[in-house]
Amino acid sequence: MATRSLLPSLRRKTETPAKREEEHPFYSLQREMNQLFDDFFRGFDLEPFGALEDRYAGFTPSIDVRESDEELTITAEIPGIDEKDVEVLVSDDAVTLKGEKKEEQEDKGKDYYRLERTYGSFHRVIPLPRGINLEKVEAAFKNGVLTVKLPKTEEAQTKGKKIPISTE
Amino acid sequence: MDQEYKNYEKQPAKEPAQSERTRNTRIFVPKVDIYETPETMVLIGDVPGVDENSVEVILDKNVLKIHGTVDPQESQGRRLYYAEYEVGDYQRTFTLSEDVDREKIEASVKNGVLRVVLHKAAPVAAKKIAIKAG
Repeated sequence: MATRSLLPSLRRKTETPAKREEEHPFYSLQREMNQLFDDFFRGFDLEPFGALEDRYAGFTPSIDVRESDEELTITAEIPGIDEKDVEVLVSDDAVTLKGEKKEEQEDKGKDYYRLERTYGSFHRVIPLPRGINLEKVEAAFKNGVLTVKLPKTEEAQTKGKKIPISTE
Repeated sequence: MDQEYKNYEKQPAKEPAQSERTRNTRIFVPKVDIYETPETMVLIGDVPGVDENSVEVILDKNVLKIHGTVDPQESQGRRLYYAEYEVGDYQRTFTLSEDVDREKIEASVKNGVLRVVLHKAAPVAAKKIAIKAG
């Protein structure tokens, strides 16, 4: 292990805290321990039924939302789908992602060894804050990752009016 | 235990990682389907964010290794608002049975899905050995 990673990094402090703090060495140790316990107890679980449940759980894309001063960016991991099968609907207060991940049916008479991927239709609604310029929303789909850019309106970008404080 | 990964999410690779990493990114195990047809074995893996230039399929002896690299988005000046997934590399290793034609492995990536087609080797025909008289 690099010694550097044991020291608190200055760079990390400026990064977003939401999930990145788990890069912290103690956090990753904790995660390792948790995983160890989880793996142990899973041994007594009714695993076959659990696996079946996963299979029929369907597909849900995972979503990240980032915000900068100018825009809000939504990214979603939707592998194995064509851009024409994804629908992005924007309304005043929400973005809706809709689509269906279809199972490929090309090979007949196939025997599965492993089935880990899931299929099915999905529908996700992401609430939006006020001050989004709905006219300029862009969506791009590349390598199974959907990116929706929602620019903020100019009013939303300008910081609040500064009120001078007077002393008496 | 706030780090419970739901089953439809990407599964992080077990730590400690088996190999020393030179990149400061996390590794995920891609979900795969593997099926067999009379002539082929097909492996389909979900690797969102990977294109044909950033994925490697390496066959070393009978070990097939898939390695996909995803460049993290530059997040300069952006705050993470809401997070469900992380960006990281993909890595997974499979052991092949012997009867695969090593010369005819096809791999393709489309829309973040890697597809590796392994052709089964033709069975070696029995050959009669002539026996010489000593």
